[in-house]
Amino acid sequence: MTEKKKRQWPLWAVVGLVLFHIILFAATGKAIFGSSAKVPSSFTETNDLPTIYPDYVGVTVPANIAPLHFHIDHDSEATDFVTRLTAGSESWALSGDDVRPGLKKWHKMVDMALAAEGNINIEVFIKREDRWLRQKPFQITVSTDSIDPYISYRLISPSYVTYEDLTLNQRCLENFDESLIYGNMINSDEENGQCINCHHAQWYNPNRVQFHVRQHLGGTVIAYDGKVQKIDLKTDSTISAGVYPTWHPTKPWIVYSTNNTGQSFHTRDVKKIEVQDTKSNLIFFDLESNTVTPITRDTTDFDCFPFWSPDGKYVYYVSAHWERRDTINMDFELIQNYKEVQYNLYRIPFNEKDQTFGPRELIYDAVARNRSVTLPRVSPDGRWLMFTEGQFGVFHIWHNDADLFLMDLTQAQPVEPTHINTYDRHRLSEYLLPPDANNLQREIIADSLREEQGLRTPLPAHIRNITEINSPDVESYHSWSSNGCWVIFSSRRDDGNFTRPFIAHHDGNGHFSKPFELPQDNPQYHRQFMRSYNIPEFLFGPVTIRPQEFASVIKKDATKAQLKIK
Amino acid sequence: MLLRAQELNLWLPTGLFWKTLMQYPGGAATWLATYLTQYFYHPWLGVSILCILWLIICLLLAFVYKLKGPWTMLTALVPMALLACIVQTGYWIYYQKLPGHLFIPTVGILFVTLCLVVQRLIDKSLPAKAAMWAHFVWMTLVCIIGYPFFGAWALGATALLGVSPLTASPDGKEKGGLKSSFPLWGVRWWLLILYAILLITVIPQLYYQHIFGMTERTFVYAAAMPCFRYSKDSFEIFRLPYYAIILAFTILALVSAGESSAFNKRLKAQVKSIIALSLLFIAIIGVRASWYHDVNFQKELAMNRAIEELDWERVLTIARDGSSDIKPTRQMVMYKNLALFRLGRAGNEMFNYPEGATQQNAPWKVRMTQIGAKLIYYHHGKENFCYRWCMEDGVEFGWKAETLKFMARTSLLNREWTVARKYLNLLKKTTFHRAWAERYEKYLATPDAFDLEKLEASAKAGKPLLDEQGMKEFAPILHMMTYPDRLDGDNSLVEMYLIQTFGKGNGDDPLFQEMTLIGALYMKDIDLFWPRFMKYATTNPDVHMPRHYQEAAYLYGHLENKVDISHMPFDQEVRDTYERFMKFNEQCGLMTEEQKAIAFYPQFGNTFYYFYFLVRNQKTN
Repeated sequence: MTEKKKRQWPLWAVVGLVLFHIILFAATGKAIFGSSAKVPSSFTETNDLPTIYPDYVGVTVPANIAPLHFHIDHDSEATDFVTRLTAGSESWALSGDDVRPGLKKWHKMVDMALAAEGNINIEVFIKREDRWLRQKPFQITVSTDSIDPYISYRLISPSYVTYEDLTLNQRCLENFDESLIYGNMINSDEENGQCINCHHAQWYNPNRVQFHVRQHLGGTVIAYDGKVQKIDLKTDSTISAGVYPTWHPTKPWIVYSTNNTGQSFHTRDVKKIEVQDTKSNLIFFDLESNTVTPITRDTTDFDCFPFWSPDGKYVYYVSAHWERRDTINMDFELIQNYKEVQYNLYRIPFNEKDQTFGPRELIYDAVARNRSVTLPRVSPDGRWLMFTEGQFGVFHIWHNDADLFLMDLTQAQPVEPTHINTYDRHRLSEYLLPPDANNLQREIIADSLREEQGLRTPLPAHIRNITEINSPDVESYHSWSSNGCWVIFSSRRDDGNFTRPFIAHHDGNGHFSKPFELPQDNPQYHRQFMRSYNIPEFLFGPVTIRPQEFASVIKKDATKAQLKIK
Repeated sequence: MLLRAQELNLWLPTGLFWKTLMQYPGGAATWLATYLTQYFYHPWLGVSILCILWLIICLLLAFVYKLKGPWTMLTALVPMALLACIVQTGYWIYYQKLPGHLFIPTVGILFVTLCLVVQRLIDKSLPAKAAMWAHFVWMTLVCIIGYPFFGAWALGATALLGVSPLTASPDGKEKGGLKSSFPLWGVRWWLLILYAILLITVIPQLYYQHIFGMTERTFVYAAAMPCFRYSKDSFEIFRLPYYAIILAFTILALVSAGESSAFNKRLKAQVKSIIALSLLFIAIIGVRASWYHDVNFQKELAMNRAIEELDWERVLTIARDGSSDIKPTRQMVMYKNLALFRLGRAGNEMFNYPEGATQQNAPWKVRMTQIGAKLIYYHHGKENFCYRWCMEDGVEFGWKAETLKFMARTSLLNREWTVARKYLNLLKKTTFHRAWAERYEKYLATPDAFDLEKLEASAKAGKPLLDEQGMKEFAPILHMMTYPDRLDGDNSLVEMYLIQTFGKGNGDDPLFQEMTLIGALYMKDIDLFWPRFMKYATTNPDVHMPRHYQEAAYLYGHLENKVDISHMPFDQEVRDTYERFMKFNEQCGLMTEEQKAIAFYPQFGNTFYYFYFLVRNQKTN
């Protein structure tokens, strides 16, 4: 009797076990049984492409990309959905308005597609009023050009002044794994907030990365082949600590811009924020000797966003010329005249032997076109330079007219600046423009009129607007993959407010395929996500230093960089 | 307050929401707490749930501590302390960063109690030796598995499990009983306590090192507990109810430990009842002492609610309420001014209500940008600034239903349809804001409604593009948005910014134009006043010039002779009041300005003259 009782399970344990299995079944049941489906045998064809999110219709993807999960947008009359994905001779049918083939099936599809003509054909069937409709089929092209397996980015709410929870993350592009490189909350409390920004790796190398920590425990964190250190780059002779970085492709050298940056707020315009520099120069930092050397020091030139060419011979950057005219406060004067601050594209030659820079060369006179450029990025083969162009300013993520442009560097020559009277240029828009046009339309019309009247120079032949990847909304930060076959760039095309990373295939001749949004396991993830992706950059692999290791280095005092004047 | 608390809360049935909360230890506790907080949408429902949970806690505690007879009443000490955690909240509803903070203590204590219940069941059903090992295993599981889900509450449960042999006296029906497994003051007992301390100390650090890369090292021991710090200041007094919870558990443990003692057996039931009731009485006094009472806080909440419902008369009724001598906060004054403006009575009544600049009753400086600015900017047509403070608020204090609602509406007014849909879709996922989101989602189908000219044309044609509610809410705001874009900033001073921006503004829209006149009036700027006054007079030829505008013109006309007022048809009352004011001023010639302010108020407090001469250095926030 006692023996029998001993073997009995207590009632609470049995109830718990049953509940556990019910929950487990509910959680996994859909994944196991709900995803496969039967393709309808009879249906009516329509000529409309399915409305899917993200828009993966006709995109080109690398073979090693994570599955392209998407959601079928529909009205309430649609009651059932089946999607057939066909690659080569094999087909997979999936049910539901969330099309999520998963990793295993996706890999099989990609393999089959590559073995055949390179496409995954997708048919979406939607059931309405007991009738099945087949939407116009579309294709996803699988490219044999692989993509770097990782990207890094900062996740930040598109906020204004406050920051609470900022993270530098890395994402494996081959699946959906996302992990933390460093999050500011690990070293923050109510009293001491911390901002983190401007992460950047040397030639895609996850073992050589840097990022900045501002305010509490501030400094520049540099991880170089296993050694992590925090450096204070501010010297008495420079505007600020290092801000926007660019690594030399091979040596332990970084060129930074130093900036005095402020922001103000639009009262009506949906652009909402204007970020402006009131001072900015370039500095050179040698990690081995821990020295900072100013490169540019002119207070009337705002030099920003440097980028080292892959051969290490040039540093490209943008610069705006601004001379103070009024007696009012400089910051206020700039705020009042923010549309007149326009940036040109320059480069300075670099002599590796003595680590010196030559005189600057104007590569693109954007100001003469009433435009302003930012973020020059040279392709790994050194042939192409991609930059962002808008009407004014340097912080184009808040400018909805900002587009990506491409320059063929084999055709690029230093040019002389064209002097155009800015007063004439701006006066034009006052009386020649249609009153019912919106601001953006007015600017486009005004620019074409200016061009006709010689108040604006035409776009040089070796530069083009990459219309195939641009959208009516913001395109801004961009970086090339290590093989030059892909670019990842920030865009606000989804909703105008939240920045999302998009990837486009480059054919090697300056042309791109339709970009696709960073795939997520939950296809509607970005519709729910309340943060922006900042500075998406490719990496050869994951950063292996844990956030806690970065945190302990950040807690220590920064090593002060020494000023070195040449 | 409970209704507002749920507006300042957000629970979403999405994987992303769960993932976001689980980035920090105690994510499950906050998930549950935010889930439960939403039931305050119907305050009676939320309170009922709270009471049911407290009742369950009491019953479980009675079971855990084997309390009998009058001692059972003592289990109510825990809900008392939990009640104190809620009623002390006050302005923390805006500043507390822990999601679901009103329900967190209840959820946490429920978890702790359930852990003890399981332990008690193990104790009851296993023989002594097995119970001992099971106890070690269970305590380890509670700490290791419980910590990522319940944070510091799991550490609390571990601590209570560590000392539970103290209270685990076997009652005849039990097979073993922890007391026989861990004899008091014996080696095993000490080992158990040391092991509990080890778990509590080490497990959070291990999680910090390997899992939670977003939590500050020292904060790992307080994860999922409300933090009563704002900026540089820490407000320890708000921790008292949490210490009271610990005290309540200590009392229960001690009573339980002494249950089988000879002393306890000697005590009569009546004496036990008196002791228990006395302790409960002390607890009631404690709850009452911690209860946050503030008339202005209540009025701000009520006015906020009335504005949300566009019930402008109710706003004024609350503003008029003279049941308290406490002067209003600037936020209340701004709510009142907004209501008067919306009712078209600002020019006649803006000085008829109590003025004041009472600081919000909180031990830190409460800023309007963090409590009511969003609503104020929204209705003043400063949609970008409303949106901005929603974003700032979301970043600093977490996303709330209220901020999403404002962001959806400002996006509609800014004609940003896609992002408006994003916020509405998020709200549609909530349990109680779905209907609200669906109502506003309808407006996405009529984008022309957010073009003032088209909206007015449609209204004139008898087929308004917006429904009645939409017209009532959006049309006046669209009128207020008729100003050109420029770069600007409010420096967190909402009232000052609005007065300045309107006072210096210039517009043709009648509603906007009147606000520029009001701005100039508040600025007491004569040069700004006259052009706006003249424009008001010419654009509203059929309107009787409101009293305060007349008063300002009459006064400025006398102060400076820049504008000839001799032909202006001032009301006789305006002239008479001015004469009386000046005469009284002569009579009070030797008084200080402060004395005059008091002396003049009964007769002239509702005039612009009084405001111009005797309301100075009004502080704003």
